[in-house]
Amino acid sequence: MKELALHILDIVQNSVRADASIIEITVREDIQRDILMISIKDNGKGMDEETLKKVEDPFFTTRTTRKIGLGISLFKTAALQCNGSFNLVSKQGEGTCLTAAFQYSHIDRAPLGNIVDTLVTLLMMEKEIDYRYVHYYKNNQFSFDTHEIKKVLDGVPITDINVVEWIKEYITEGLKEIVNF
Amino acid sequence: MITVEELKNKLSLEVIGGEGSLSNVIKNVYIGDLLSWVMAHMKHQDAWITIQTNTNVIAVAALGEAACVIIAENAEIEDVTINKANEEGIPLLRSNLSAYELAIELNHYIKDK
Repeated sequence: MKELALHILDIVQNSVRADASIIEITVREDIQRDILMISIKDNGKGMDEETLKKVEDPFFTTRTTRKIGLGISLFKTAALQCNGSFNLVSKQGEGTCLTAAFQYSHIDRAPLGNIVDTLVTLLMMEKEIDYRYVHYYKNNQFSFDTHEIKKVLDGVPITDINVVEWIKEYITEGLKEIVNF
Repeated sequence: MITVEELKNKLSLEVIGGEGSLSNVIKNVYIGDLLSWVMAHMKHQDAWITIQTNTNVIAVAALGEAACVIIAENAEIEDVTINKANEEGIPLLRSNLSAYELAIELNHYIKDK
């Protein structure tokens, strides 16, 4: 994909389909060690050993509409082609955690892309799901938790246009701050 | 209209896999290496030229119903990819020409489509 954020958007759909109620997305820009790491962790229904072995195969999918599912394989290949690594752990009844690491400076590494729009798209899609987003840049950290926000909202839906505008600005400013710190 | 078999003979392409489907008809040509992009834009019965050689290539070709995959610039092809091409019946060919040079050659045979 042209942007890594699109992979995040894609992978999170798996968590949604696995009936997760909390999805944690972590992006770590470790400039010193030249690593960009993305991890997506959910508390969905998880996978058994058998399924886990097969999910990285592009010819495997749980969907019944077609027999090919490329989300995980594309993300894995993108990481490996950038001198990185890929790890997927899952436990039935507990959830799944996927981690992809890239050599930060690798010429083929796609840019991170638009995180703000990605997060907003995600929380608009399934407003019952709580998202925890943590972004590290060098030693600085920005985090965003829809659970906390919902508490403050006191019944106003998180998909309310004013709330969404505020969230967009909050994330944009937060990310700007950790990069320019 | 040209089949993969005919094209293979005209351009001396090396058949790497999916030999059983060389009678596929090629309608057009698509060139691209970013698989997600190719997935969204390649058309049914395209001859797809790429330098990517991982198994995802065969998945994308199967999904997009490509007529064949042509690996340009003699890029090395992993065994798993060849096995998948055979299983899925996707003709997997290879050439020492670049994607551009292949496109020029292909143009002679595709333009009267």
